[in-house]
Amino acid sequence: MPETFILVRLLNSLLMDVEVRAFQLIGANPAEAAEKAVKVNQTLGWELVVGGGLILFFLLVRLTLSVEKPNSAQQIAELIHTQIGDLAEQIIGHGSERYQSWVICIFLFVLLNNLLGLIPGIPAPTTSPWVPLGLAVPTFLFYNFQGVREQGIIGYAKHFCGPIWWVAWLILPIEIVSHLARIMSLTIRLYANMFASDMVTLGFFSLIPVGVPAIFLGLHVFVSIIQAFVFMLLTMIYLSLAVAKEH
Amino acid sequence: MRKLQYVFMALAALCFAMPAFADGGSTAISLVPIGAGIGMALAAGLCGLGQGKATASACEALARNPGARGGLMIFLVLGLALIESLTLFTLVIILIKVK
Repeated sequence: MPETFILVRLLNSLLMDVEVRAFQLIGANPAEAAEKAVKVNQTLGWELVVGGGLILFFLLVRLTLSVEKPNSAQQIAELIHTQIGDLAEQIIGHGSERYQSWVICIFLFVLLNNLLGLIPGIPAPTTSPWVPLGLAVPTFLFYNFQGVREQGIIGYAKHFCGPIWWVAWLILPIEIVSHLARIMSLTIRLYANMFASDMVTLGFFSLIPVGVPAIFLGLHVFVSIIQAFVFMLLTMIYLSLAVAKEH
Repeated sequence: MRKLQYVFMALAALCFAMPAFADGGSTAISLVPIGAGIGMALAAGLCGLGQGKATASACEALARNPGARGGLMIFLVLGLALIESLTLFTLVIILIKVK
């Protein structure tokens, strides 16, 4: 099937050659290599568009930064910054500024990816389970890394052992499993919500193809914003739990 | 009214009799869609109960103390998302199992 999305075609034609050659280096014959090579799909293409758009927006804000005459892009950025900053201050507490950039990036990326599904013909990238997984795994690594950096390896490991030392052998496996389950729950929550929201629209579209499905696009907007907010909120809460100092 | 009841009972009996007819043929009835429907219905119903309880408490708290709006909203949204995710796990399992 020829790809309709021009960026995906471009990326495929650029990367295919490199990939086939890399396969040949490890000893596969050309036909096998061309079959095995991973193609860039539409989801990744749209993700790249969203990521590029965000980077352009940040660059625009950074280059036109001014104290006397803030333009509209700067005001939007300031609005996002103060709102999320207040929330982070409330949840993580003192020193939340260090994690704010990560949290804001997550929020904007998820939000735009979700809202992309509103445009007819474009599947929201988050309706593919790999996109939320790709966001959840770095979030997991990030909060663990921040926890270790904040309290040292031993101090952070004490988190996993519970308050009483002689039940640590019982708490430790439970804690590890529950931390790993966070990846799963972050992934499935975002994926299933967006997928179900698309499915509801599609279902009503197949029943009554005029007018009524538009209501569910409104629901899709609502779900998109809520899910992006929840993803950000959970990231903050995990961070706050990881960097919390025990008194 | 009573006649209608008999009609419905007969229809219900016929409904259950359908598998008996099918036994004659070689087609086996797949129970997967039925299980998926029951599972999703249970999950959605109980999720509705849980979310209703959470929202009711949040509304009550907001009515008693309108000043606590900000903090309440955060925990309400968070709680709702966590409750909802359990239903979504069911949905995903159904999506995996039902081809």
